[in-house]
Amino acid sequence: MKMDYKGQIGVQSHVEMGPLDGAMHDLDDDCLFSTEMDAQKTQPILSNQRFPFSVLPVGGYKMTRNGVYKSIKTVVFSNKLNLLMPFGPLAIMVHKMSSSNGWVFFLSLLGITPLAERLGYATEQLAFYTGPTVGGLLNATFGNATELIISIYALKSGMTRVVQLSLLGSILSNMLLVLGCAFFCGGLVHYGKEQVFSKATAVVNSGLLLMAVMGLLFPAVLHYTHTERQVGKSELALSRFSSCVMLLAYAAYLVFQLKSQDDNYVPVVEEESHNGEVEDGDEAPEISKWESIIWLAIMTAWISILSDYLVDTIEGASDAWNVPIAFISVILLPIIGNAAEHASSIMFAMKDKLDISLGVAIGSSTQISMFGIPFCVVIGWMMGREMDLNFQLFETATLFITVIVVAFFLQEGTSNYFKGLMLILCYLIVSASFFVHEDPSATGQSKQDTENMTSEGDELRGSYLET
Amino acid sequence: MDYKQQVGVQSHVEQMGSVEDRSMDDLDDECLHSPGTDARKTQASDSNRQIPFSDKKLPLSDGFPIVGNKMTRNRIYRSIKTVVFSNKLNLLMPFGPLAILVHKLTASNGWVFFLSLLGITPLAERLGYATEQLAFFTGPTVGGLLNATFGNATELIISIYALKSGMIRVVQLSLLGSILSNMLLVLGCAFFCGGLVYHRKEQVFNKATAVVNSGLLLMAVMGLLFPAVLHYTHTERRVGKSELSLSRYSSCIMLVAYAAYLFFQLRSQNDHYSPINEEGSPHGDNSDNDEDEAPEISKWESMIWLTILTAWISILSDYLVDTIQGASEAWDLSIAFISVILLPIIGNAAEHASAIMFSMKDKLDISLGVAIGSSTQISMFGIPFCVVIGWIMGQEMDLNFQLFETATLFITVIVVAFFLQEGTSNYFKGLMLILCYLIVAASFFVHEDPTSTDQKKQPQT
Repeated sequence: MKMDYKGQIGVQSHVEMGPLDGAMHDLDDDCLFSTEMDAQKTQPILSNQRFPFSVLPVGGYKMTRNGVYKSIKTVVFSNKLNLLMPFGPLAIMVHKMSSSNGWVFFLSLLGITPLAERLGYATEQLAFYTGPTVGGLLNATFGNATELIISIYALKSGMTRVVQLSLLGSILSNMLLVLGCAFFCGGLVHYGKEQVFSKATAVVNSGLLLMAVMGLLFPAVLHYTHTERQVGKSELALSRFSSCVMLLAYAAYLVFQLKSQDDNYVPVVEEESHNGEVEDGDEAPEISKWESIIWLAIMTAWISILSDYLVDTIEGASDAWNVPIAFISVILLPIIGNAAEHASSIMFAMKDKLDISLGVAIGSSTQISMFGIPFCVVIGWMMGREMDLNFQLFETATLFITVIVVAFFLQEGTSNYFKGLMLILCYLIVSASFFVHEDPSATGQSKQDTENMTSEGDELRGSYLET
Repeated sequence: MDYKQQVGVQSHVEQMGSVEDRSMDDLDDECLHSPGTDARKTQASDSNRQIPFSDKKLPLSDGFPIVGNKMTRNRIYRSIKTVVFSNKLNLLMPFGPLAILVHKLTASNGWVFFLSLLGITPLAERLGYATEQLAFFTGPTVGGLLNATFGNATELIISIYALKSGMIRVVQLSLLGSILSNMLLVLGCAFFCGGLVYHRKEQVFNKATAVVNSGLLLMAVMGLLFPAVLHYTHTERRVGKSELSLSRYSSCIMLVAYAAYLFFQLRSQNDHYSPINEEGSPHGDNSDNDEDEAPEISKWESMIWLTILTAWISILSDYLVDTIQGASEAWDLSIAFISVILLPIIGNAAEHASAIMFSMKDKLDISLGVAIGSSTQISMFGIPFCVVIGWIMGQEMDLNFQLFETATLFITVIVVAFFLQEGTSNYFKGLMLILCYLIVAASFFVHEDPTSTDQKKQPQT
């Protein structure tokens, strides 16, 4: 999600965190603050700017109630996207009352979207209080917490294929759709010039994505050339080993990022006005540390509940809408679930802050591919589920070609609306492919062996059956 | 050895004497010279400049026949001392004869394989050394050609023996493994160690060279991809024959490309070339203080040693190839794993160490030359050469490396080409390359090669 970019654009990360949501609703922020000043005398802590809450425990009944009200107001009501929040409980109601899986799926998806965004917000707020290192780690881990939570629930139900497909879809949509829209809109707005972004960051991320493709390629090719030493066990062992290696690489990446950041680091409290990158941004945290943690927990719990319904009804939705599960998992789920990141990425591109857009889009892809996927394999290992890195040939090939295309587009360090348009059109091709793609393995039970290979790679089927 | 072409003309003047000896044992060099100077008037006592044709005395004149029993014996002793005893790695040399001994005495294939492998390692390194020394005397052009051809002579010799035994699959796998280990492991370690030592700044290397090599590697992948895909889509016009003819044709093309590459390199070098005799001091590129750029042994000695080492390597290769099957069963490892992972790592140990050493001295171009240059040489020269040799021998060696291996090479070349295109390096890139190699090694660990390796390559089951 949007979190990882902070690691990538240097020190401004912490100072700029507030404006991310501020960018989404400047007006709301202003309204928020005016009422704040009336309701409570806020304590200035270390700067001249007002901090609405100090870290001192809130004492007194009236103050607690006010604190809670204000917290709810800040977190829940300050975002237009939260209009979708009632859909969550609505989904549960519909589930209890009717058996319409399609509707339950759709409503829970809509209900998760604002929660995902608020989760990101709460993570950012918490990162204010924890210093750059832990803050960066928080962002890096929780940035895609929503996708991970959905995946863990799917793993628990044994739907390993859904896990693989939804993570893959998240990567594809971030790399092609979100990035493409950002380039496109930014290019249209800043029509005269070419927007530039930090080539170094883009190249490092592309390298990590390529490494992830490598990690995914070997189990798939091993399986499809029927050259594993022990059918079934070999890919699993290889996947688990590769996942550990990938997690190691991701940890090294974080260390490397934080170290290069430390060289430029300027503590948050000493910088009041930074280098003019954010005009009307609010760099102060808006809720206190404990509130962040509490909201984090509440959001996670809510998302977990809705994920449960989501995962249970995905098959029913697929039957109801006559759309393959692959399409739902790869295309629909990520698009709707990622709506908030999508919007913020476009907004930043239009403000000519392409580095942040890139951080949101590509950083998220990197995080899912190098952390999310291996993490799910390891979690599956612990749960006893046979989740491996063999994403089947069609999906692996899709990821491979997409990473190559995107890495190629990014290597120049510039963007324009044409590049954005190309990426969006590539995404249309990918979604059309998945629309007509029938995933051979069942998703209700554990992943079955796909020796029959009904649809994938017709031209290869004959050769493999004969070898 | 190929790196010399890639750092320009200095190669001949600067590095040849220095590479292996410098990097591996500075002390030995000094010890070597002190008794040397006593025994005979040898290379000019001038510490920095050794010019063969200056007015300093030459210990061994090139064309004159060796006269006198005492002089000959001394010369032989010194030659042996220079070549055999001056390198720590040569401690492994006894393992060669030991392997033969074990083979005669026991039937333990695993041990024979392992010991011959250990025995080959120092010989490979000395072969490189002898080649460099010879290149001193032949001028830059032929010297460059020598390096380009014999740089991976060890791998080629092993491959030719395997071809003779009809173990085509072993040839393919060992050459592939050599490419993979050079591109990922050696390069990754070099980047990693150099990056750790110089972690404040980013090390840079010559982007142009890296890009040319990446291009050649991609072309090699293309050459390997078509026969494999042709076979796997069952779309060849005549099963079996088509891939073979395509492979042979592609190999000739690849050899032409490699020849053109050498030509191109030597031409760009010639533009900066200044003859050895006339230049006193190099352009300060690698002027490490106490270097010795002069050849250490004479031309005839180099050739003799070249022959001796080649013969030795051939003998050990014979044992190596014969026992690989037995070792695979003894250690319960797939032949694929042994050929692709173990063989190249151990065989390449010397190059590996020198690449790391150069990157830690911030001479990343040389490291890159050692690692990537070697990969290019094997992929664009070694593999096609083996196909042609197989053609001459009547063995059906083709470029169809089977889909798994071809896919591995493909993704590896893309990853490495991508990493190299920036022209900078840091420890993180190195770490990523090493981790990629771990993934590759793990894949081959669980990979069972479908074709048997004892007899001629059988059609796919």
